[in-house]
Amino acid sequence: MTVFQTENIQSKLMNSYYELTYIISPVLEDEQYPAVIQRINDLITSKGGTVEEVEEWGLRKFAYEMDKKQTGFYVNLYFEGPATAIESIERAIRIDDEIMRYLTLKYDAKMKRHKELVKKNAVPEVFPVIEEDDSEEDK
Amino acid sequence: MIKNPSHPKKSVRKVKQCKFTEAGLEYIDYKDVETLQRFTNDQGKILPRRVTGTSAKHQRQLTTAIKRARFLGLMPYVAENLR
Repeated sequence: MTVFQTENIQSKLMNSYYELTYIISPVLEDEQYPAVIQRINDLITSKGGTVEEVEEWGLRKFAYEMDKKQTGFYVNLYFEGPATAIESIERAIRIDDEIMRYLTLKYDAKMKRHKELVKKNAVPEVFPVIEEDDSEEDK
Repeated sequence: MIKNPSHPKKSVRKVKQCKFTEAGLEYIDYKDVETLQRFTNDQGKILPRRVTGTSAKHQRQLTTAIKRARFLGLMPYVAENLR
């Protein structure tokens, strides 16, 4: 009997760290964006997750046309929650008309370590800046 | 990396190092569009390993990162507009 009890407790604490990036349609008014973001945050907490960090990248131009639109409002957030919650969260996002695309990633230890580096601004430079000619062709 | 020893040009060209291994980067983030664009050509295609010198492991991570960025509209699938 005690074995079953410990199993239940362990499954309740099986929280994983997730990253969710989604794009809100740009046709909304400026005041409506916080409402959408708050709605998603409440959705996550109602399924038993805890939102850790929300980053709004704001309106960004797309690299290609998406749904006949050229820009979108990007939101990037990190949350921790049970694995069972992800399906319902994604279903709710899919139904939502105002959210164009979303991407959920489960973070493993390597990605978490990288995130810590990003927070400290200590990400190693892949292309170190040399005094010679920097051929930086962005787009 | 494995060169043909009976190739007419027997002189070994300098072996390219993997930029990610040199920098010590563990995880290639799809959000880092600046870095990712250095590994695509002007048509938006992903450059092969033998051109960039990336290690196999990092090439796989790089490919998934570029594909995720493309899905989210951060990078183009086809970028012909530079002509």
